[in-house]
Amino acid sequence: MDFFLHIIVLIGTFLPTILGYNLVFGKGKILHFGPMGVSVITGYCFIVTLKSTGSFSLAILSGLIAVTLISLLFAWLSLRLNQDAFGVMSIAVHLSALAVVLNWNSLTRGALGIPQIPRPEFLSSVADFAIAAIILSIVTVYIVRKIDKSSFGRQLQALAEHEWHAKSLGIDRNRVHVLAFIICGIGIFLSNLIYLPYLTLLHPNDYQFAGMVFYVMIVVAGMPGSVWGATLSTVLLLALREAVRFAPLSASVLGPVRLMLFGFILFVAVYYRRDTLFPKQRSI
Amino acid sequence: MPLLSLKDLSLTIDEHQILQGISFDVEEGQIIGLIGPNGSGKTTLFNVISGFLKSSGGSITLGGEEISNLSPSQRAKRGIGRVFQNFGIFRDMTLEENILVALEALPRQQRKDLGDLKEVVAGTLDMVGLSDAGKKKAGSLSGGQMRLLEIARTLKAGKDLFLLDEPTAGVSPKMTGQVADIIKELKSNGKTVLIIEHDLPFIASICDEVVVLDVGKVVLQGTPAEVKESKELKEIYFGADPTT
Ligand SMILES: Nc1ncnc2c1ncn2[C@@H]1O[C@H](COP(=O)(O)OP(=O)(O)OP(=O)(O)O)[C@@H](O)[C@H]1O
Ligand SMILES: [Mg+2]
Repeated sequence: MDFFLHIIVLIGTFLPTILGYNLVFGKGKILHFGPMGVSVITGYCFIVTLKSTGSFSLAILSGLIAVTLISLLFAWLSLRLNQDAFGVMSIAVHLSALAVVLNWNSLTRGALGIPQIPRPEFLSSVADFAIAAIILSIVTVYIVRKIDKSSFGRQLQALAEHEWHAKSLGIDRNRVHVLAFIICGIGIFLSNLIYLPYLTLLHPNDYQFAGMVFYVMIVVAGMPGSVWGATLSTVLLLALREAVRFAPLSASVLGPVRLMLFGFILFVAVYYRRDTLFPKQRSI
Repeated sequence: MPLLSLKDLSLTIDEHQILQGISFDVEEGQIIGLIGPNGSGKTTLFNVISGFLKSSGGSITLGGEEISNLSPSQRAKRGIGRVFQNFGIFRDMTLEENILVALEALPRQQRKDLGDLKEVVAGTLDMVGLSDAGKKKAGSLSGGQMRLLEIARTLKAGKDLFLLDEPTAGVSPKMTGQVADIIKELKSNGKTVLIIEHDLPFIASICDEVVVLDVGKVVLQGTPAEVKESKELKEIYFGADPTT
């Protein structure tokens, strides 16, 4: 039962991030590999403020400010660099943020992470978190579906399919892409908001690049841009990832097996989705 | 005052002079044909007018306002509607979405003046005989249908200046007539049209004036009859005739 509740909480904490990321990477076809970088900065701002002031409101405020600023930074980079350069840069920003967190010992306790994160009163048991996760999931899917079907969603899709054709209609790429990054950032913030008090531990290992690869895999497997696809693949792949832990294998074998399994899934997903991932840009 | 005025436009890319000293005016309500051999710079001139390439010199005014420093989307919002040589239709979107996305990109007031966008979408589909196909992906349309849809959507979005790049290219002979009809409809709606075409009889049948481009320069300008008669045109297209 606890395992089941644990999966539900995990799904609830992943969905806002995945659905936001799916908007940028899946629908907008922007080669953004930095959500984990956004997440690490947001998570640390949130928790450091929470531990030092003891106030959830201040911590939320600080997390929101951090996520907005870092999302704007990524948006600015994406509008100024070409696709490939931005892809590499987004990874660089993530790894730099992680390096700062690992080395700024006085503030972050480095590789030890920050333990004993307080939980808000109404979230004291795993069951409480599961209920919160279900509510958050439903609300997130509902809102993201609305966004997806809105004029903003259409403009994002048009820009992804053919930038010149979209601009010639009067679509403002700067405005649309900045908004996409901000929405993605808010999703990442919501994920941290639940995930960290649930674990009661903020650990830098949770923000490694491998986690980013997992995000990409979920979006690609779920059909880039599709809200229902991303939701379904979040549920299935998370359940699979957690279930593998119970395979009758020794810990030293389990790690590599899991990596190979997910490597294989990613390979197959990218292979089948290659046309939707990297559409041909037709000439003028 | 002309609707569009080009003065001494030039464009240099990597030391190649692609356009030089291009000057001509387009009066409101006119249909102007732009012709010239392959690679003479016709599409490039459209790219400069619509803002995708920045001119190296000269000026572009639209309704008296200098627009050379505006972005493509700002120019679109001021009434420039472009129809692309390779179809500006989004193939992964439905026909309805294709029309809607153009209407939603209009400046706020203009969008309000259109009233119920759903009705405008239905009207646009009706105009090109695709009322039943609204929910279909645009990628399933024929070249002719895409072209009609693109022109109709630009018309319904209330653009004033149309830049049509080879509207009959990729269109079956059967539908070329329909494309010609919708272009004439633009004229009867008081729209101003700049049209690139290789088909001279087609150009002669719909244009008020023809501008001939060769290696990035305007070499000839006049009524279709004048241009057809001129021996420069023959030289450009067939090379100098040694017998004359
Ligand atoms: N961005 C660019 N960089 C370098 N050269 C360019 C660029 N755009 C256009 N050119 C060159 O400018 C010239 C004019 O090209 P353009 O496409 O405008 O010709 P066109 O008159 O439209 O020809 P066609 O009838 O074949 O469509 C060509 O030689 C082309 O190679
Ligand atoms: Mg051309």
